Amino acid sequence: MKYAFFLGCLIPAREPNYENSIRKIAPKLDIELIEMKGANCCAPFSIQSVDHMSWLALAARNLCMAEQMGLDILTLCNDCYESLLMTNTILKEDKEKLDKVNKILADVGLEFKGKTNVKIFSDALYEDVGLEKVRKTIKNPFNELRVAVQPGCHLAKPKRIHFRQRMGPTSLDELVEATGAKSILYERKEACCGGPLRGVNDEVALHVAKQKLDSIKAAGVDCIVTVCPFCFIELDMGQLEIKRHFGEEYNLPVVSFAELLRMAMGMKLEDWEIKTHRIPITKILDMVEAK
Amino acid sequence: MHEVANTPRGQGVLACIQCGRCTSSCPVARVVNEHNPRKLMEMIILGLRSEVLGGQLPWYCLSCFTCLDRCPQGGDVGEAMFAIRNLTVKKGNIPEGIRTQARSLFETGRVVNASKMALIQREKYGLGKEPVVNIEDVQRILRKTSFDKLITKGL
Repeated sequence: MKYAFFLGCLIPAREPNYENSIRKIAPKLDIELIEMKGANCCAPFSIQSVDHMSWLALAARNLCMAEQMGLDILTLCNDCYESLLMTNTILKEDKEKLDKVNKILADVGLEFKGKTNVKIFSDALYEDVGLEKVRKTIKNPFNELRVAVQPGCHLAKPKRIHFRQRMGPTSLDELVEATGAKSILYERKEACCGGPLRGVNDEVALHVAKQKLDSIKAAGVDCIVTVCPFCFIELDMGQLEIKRHFGEEYNLPVVSFAELLRMAMGMKLEDWEIKTHRIPITKILDMVEAK
Repeated sequence: MHEVANTPRGQGVLACIQCGRCTSSCPVARVVNEHNPRKLMEMIILGLRSEVLGGQLPWYCLSCFTCLDRCPQGGDVGEAMFAIRNLTVKKGNIPEGIRTQARSLFETGRVVNASKMALIQREKYGLGKEPVVNIEDVQRILRKTSFDKLITKGL
């Protein structure tokens, strides 16, 4: 399976560990990642808040590039997913906006034709690769691991554009369980991590993250697993800030789903990748070592 | 109210029946008393233009879209927040954090850029250089939508 690989801004800049794990596990799942040369930022919520047409045109530029490659577009980040999927949906439905966007894009020699689909990594695994095939790649199942899955807002919301996803177990829970781990239901699972308020109101962001971490802790889990790079930073580094700010300590390791799957496939994380985690992930690494 | 309703993504205000489900499902409303999406919708319905556009309330929204899924009217409060923020930006009311991201987008094509250290590390880890953005095309698009002017002083 081939995809136009949309890396976004945050992952290459701040989470090389996530990117590296994706590149390592893709071949095992017969996924070919074709780089999108010249792609721009997805135009996340901050840019959508500034100007509607700038958002649509910039997101559409990325979609047009994937169309020209004749491939579906693969994102790793919930924010990129929301921006690209929403734009793709709007431009396929709203002729008036499509005309306006195409008028802007004509200046850079592009035209949106509506020929690509947008997939986030976990959905591509769930829908295109299939759970059965994912299960076959597992060499070291995490049988004892209790996981709080953090789907992140835009994996399943709004429902209007995520037909398959509903409240309760999502594709990500099923994927996590395919590694042998157990996804534990906790209160406020669907709630936001607070990340989008970073840079606008850090203190409120921290309060929102704390609510989430409180309920995860109450559920008694070994770690948090997420696909979203914003959730990763907010819940991992956020724990250090919460400790400074509120004196509360959680010690909840956070790993991206790509890293969990990679370890379950029997591949070790590099030292530099382990160090990217602010909350030590020793407990999970020990489980791998014990095998 | 019609100013918001006529702005892209703003139509939801017309459907609001003031039931408050948006507020009860809002993760920020749980921790910040001033942030109350229902009340913001009420202010818009009542036409309190300067209070809505001059304030910080629309910028408390996380765009988590919980209210979108919960609104019994399909009223899209979280969507309307984008319309309100677009209008506040036109008035020159834009939080510094958002302006920084917007400037970065215009100058580099990305809202987040890797530090020098991160770039060195990428190469060391075998991930190669940071992906290249076609910045000429990005700027051509953003000039056409007047994004550059908008983020400097509003319209």
